[in-house]
Amino acid sequence: MSRYIATRALRGATGLVREADEMLTKVIAEKGADTPVAFPNTAYYLPTVLGLTGMEVQTLGDLVPVVERAKSLLHPVPPSALWKPYLGDTLDAGVATLLAAETIEGVRFVRGTQPERWPGFEMGGGTEYPHLEDGHLNGPIDDIQLRSWGIQLVDGRMPGFAAIVGCAKSNEVAVQLVRELQQRSILIFLSGNVNGRSIIHQLQEEGVEMGYDTYIVPFGTDTISAIYALGFATRSALTFGGMKGGQPREILLYNKFRVFAFVLALGEVDDLKYAAAAGAISYGFPVIADTVIPEIHPTGVTRYEHVISMPFNEIEAKDDLERAKKMVQKAIEVRGVKIQVTEVPVPVPYGSAFEGEVVRKNDMRIEFGGKYSRAFEYLCMAGMDEVEDGKISLVGPGFEEVPETGHMDLAIVIRVAGRKMQQDFEPVLERQVHYFINGASGIQHIGQRDIAWIRISKNAAEKGFNLNHFGEILIARFHADFGAIVDKVEVTLYTEPDQIEEWLEKARAAYDFRNRRLADLTDEAVEEFYSCTLCQSFAPNHVCVVTPQRLGLCGAYNWLDCKASFRINPTGPNQPIVKGTCIDPVKGYWTGSTEFTRQASHGTVEDVTMYSIMENPMTACGCFECIVMLIPEANGVMVVSREDPSMTPAGMTFSTLAGMAGGGLQTPGVMGVGKYYLTSPKFISADGGFKRVVWMSSFLKESMAEEFKAVAEREGVPDLLDRIADETVCTEVDGLVEYMAEKEHPALAMEFMF
Amino acid sequence: MPVEIPKEKWTGQVREVTLGATAADGGTRSHTVTVGGETTLPFLYFEGQMPHRPLVALEIKDRKPDDWSLLLEKAWGDAMAGPGDWAKAAEEAGADLICLTFYLTGPDGEDNTAANAKTAIRKVLDATGLPVAACGPGQAEIDNELIVAVAEEAAGERLLLGLCEDRNYRTIVAAALGHGHLVQARTAMDVNLAKQLNILINDMQLPLDRIVMDPTTGALGYGIEYGYSVMERLRIAALQGDSMTQLPMIVTPGEEAWKAKESKVGEGVPEAWGDWEARAVNWEVLTATSLIESCADIVVLRHPESVRRVHAMIDAMVGA
Repeated sequence: MSRYIATRALRGATGLVREADEMLTKVIAEKGADTPVAFPNTAYYLPTVLGLTGMEVQTLGDLVPVVERAKSLLHPVPPSALWKPYLGDTLDAGVATLLAAETIEGVRFVRGTQPERWPGFEMGGGTEYPHLEDGHLNGPIDDIQLRSWGIQLVDGRMPGFAAIVGCAKSNEVAVQLVRELQQRSILIFLSGNVNGRSIIHQLQEEGVEMGYDTYIVPFGTDTISAIYALGFATRSALTFGGMKGGQPREILLYNKFRVFAFVLALGEVDDLKYAAAAGAISYGFPVIADTVIPEIHPTGVTRYEHVISMPFNEIEAKDDLERAKKMVQKAIEVRGVKIQVTEVPVPVPYGSAFEGEVVRKNDMRIEFGGKYSRAFEYLCMAGMDEVEDGKISLVGPGFEEVPETGHMDLAIVIRVAGRKMQQDFEPVLERQVHYFINGASGIQHIGQRDIAWIRISKNAAEKGFNLNHFGEILIARFHADFGAIVDKVEVTLYTEPDQIEEWLEKARAAYDFRNRRLADLTDEAVEEFYSCTLCQSFAPNHVCVVTPQRLGLCGAYNWLDCKASFRINPTGPNQPIVKGTCIDPVKGYWTGSTEFTRQASHGTVEDVTMYSIMENPMTACGCFECIVMLIPEANGVMVVSREDPSMTPAGMTFSTLAGMAGGGLQTPGVMGVGKYYLTSPKFISADGGFKRVVWMSSFLKESMAEEFKAVAEREGVPDLLDRIADETVCTEVDGLVEYMAEKEHPALAMEFMF
Repeated sequence: MPVEIPKEKWTGQVREVTLGATAADGGTRSHTVTVGGETTLPFLYFEGQMPHRPLVALEIKDRKPDDWSLLLEKAWGDAMAGPGDWAKAAEEAGADLICLTFYLTGPDGEDNTAANAKTAIRKVLDATGLPVAACGPGQAEIDNELIVAVAEEAAGERLLLGLCEDRNYRTIVAAALGHGHLVQARTAMDVNLAKQLNILINDMQLPLDRIVMDPTTGALGYGIEYGYSVMERLRIAALQGDSMTQLPMIVTPGEEAWKAKESKVGEGVPEAWGDWEARAVNWEVLTATSLIESCADIVVLRHPESVRRVHAMIDAMVGA
């Protein structure tokens, strides 16, 4: 907390409260305490006073206790010896300022000096004042408009509001600021001045229409009229938040978490502006100034920084217009306003219906990756200041010069930034590139990382699809689908050989890092597992517990996916399960996972182990990639993959077995799992681990040969896979036992499974 | 030998939700209706309470329907011409609640408008003193436009506004918040989705006692068992103490039953199917009564005779 800000805010507040006090005394003496006081067309009296104090002001006399309350909130200016003035004093001063400001505006309405007169001023829609014939500014927003805008603020169509106080560097900058905000559907409130000039003057001179119709509301040319912005915010909480007058804490919190507003302080900041800013901060609204002022970075009262100073002339940009743009971007970022991108701007149809589309060689305009060229995609996170949202760059030539059905190298590098982004989410997001790009009609995407393979059809190329459109797609979709964790996305497409070489090295280093990170990610190393109840729609009592070393049985959700999914959709099917106390580290019992499963399975599953097939095994819905089943005679288990239609030593095919393994039923000895769980050190580790596998569908053996080889080595039996039978060896128990004896399968020498 | 009836010991209770507001509460309804409050499965009075009878709502449209069965046209006659007359006729037919649903388009195929929605709801409110529900045609953009207008026109009436669905609920919830109404939360036959939508709506600060769940149903012979099972599971979860499922349920057997071939088609069907009208009404009544057994608190019907018969079933079950 800056002592400078505290001092000035306290001084400003003290001055304004005194002014309010004097004005009130005078007007009561002149007009009497019973004179009615009201803002036009509102059922909320003086709304900020009502919200923060519960006082329903109807007459001048009712304002006396309001001013008294304001006085009681004033604390002495901190002496120079006190280095850390308590933030609370400053916030109190802010609230005192708001009470005083609303008192003053109330008095002005009584005196007929509000709304501010402005002969000839025309507005497109505004609060109606039937008695005023000539031009005027808007004054407070009426209840009708509050409800209409409120609905849009609450449902998210309107991300928030910007209260602009003061005067921009130039008329040009003023217009640009307003346009930038309008483009994002942010509501704009104008007030204040610097040496008599207000942004309202600037916009009027430039012919910008103001009024409800254009979402630009000119409150007044003094700082005091900024109170109408907070009156609007307060009434939002009262109307849409179900709060009552006199619930200041609830109202302020409502605004902090639900009303995405911020203050842009343009030009010199005087004591009163500091005081008013302190009031805004109480509502959780940060202040961004275009001059040099002390900053308040620690977060708390607001969601992120409290006060940001962006001296306008020092913003790095090519001209003032770009500076204005950057200032708005910064404001949005500091407040955490989320902007919705609705459409994917590409010249071909876009939607998930096109995901499975194949582009055949003959229909192909060009391909990247595959047999003849290289393509890779790499997503990494960067600092908020290092990513320019929405920027797409192409480094190197496009594919226009490449002959038909030709090929070229391509690197897609995506840089994302977000306050809630974590490095662990990089691979989760990167894998989405496949789905996102595939959504475009006429584009085929296969693979991921450095085995990506992309084709663009002739048809799509004829419609004008070019490399930049990959950027458009990715930016739009990351914002739309992952907006909860991603604030900024920038895409660079490289076709230039040296650059590709350089980035490929970086990407491979990252892939390698991620692989090792995954290997280090053990069940012991984390505090939380994640649930997955996505399948309860058809298996109502099934719960997947996803741990770092046991991915979801469908193979589609690993622990990191679930973690990201929870951030994106906090009420969704992936909820964190705090592990709690470990009851049995070998079988894998934790208090947390047991309790969660019991509750989410609606009492069907009493107890669940993470690592045993024999004791309270985890249930399955029906989406499993393979079924693991005990073969008692072999003292081991068989693994059948869902691709395998053949008979198995259990005397049943996959589809028959699926009935036993699925449906959320706990059947000791039978378990549906994801195939990558087979390679986990925690794969039925309580029962002996991978060495228990005596039979396995040849499809699995072949498709995961490399992975299993590593597992066999880890388990100390390098040729284990050769000792495991498959459907080409035998499909009944006798043959299996014979084969095992012949191959000296290690399971024969292990202790009995039950 | 004395037989001991086994009793389940439930710990949870469904929330009570009141629809409509009288003059005392800022509305103009002649009375309000309350649903919910159950501490057991339907009609098991020996085990727990069911303080309010299930309600029978009648669906009316904002204009004369062009896609409704001839049988319904016959039953309603001229009353169908406008929502005011229709609402009045529905009240006379014994409805507990009027459910005004909007077409996507006007009679000539033009988009339905906010102005029309205002006129329609006004006519309904003027014609009947019953509490009212209002539903959009189920297309996000138009739904929002119409329902926001309705919410505004009927401010303070505690209407039940629909349909809130997972992809489009925020605007309708905001309208309910701003103008003092309730919402109907529809999900596609899934316990978790229903629960999630309740959480999301509640998260927007609409109190839980202003939400009625619509878990969606199919007609008899057209997937009713699926809906039945989902509703039963939702209610059991509620009674077991899961607070986010402790909401009353509304379903639309009328709309579903009248989509079934058995009610829709009068010609070219086997003779064994019997009289068309009797069959159609039976279809609606059986669908509705089955759903009441599976914990529906409000059933929305279309035929006046069905209302009489479903009321009779409820009377018999509550021992009235």
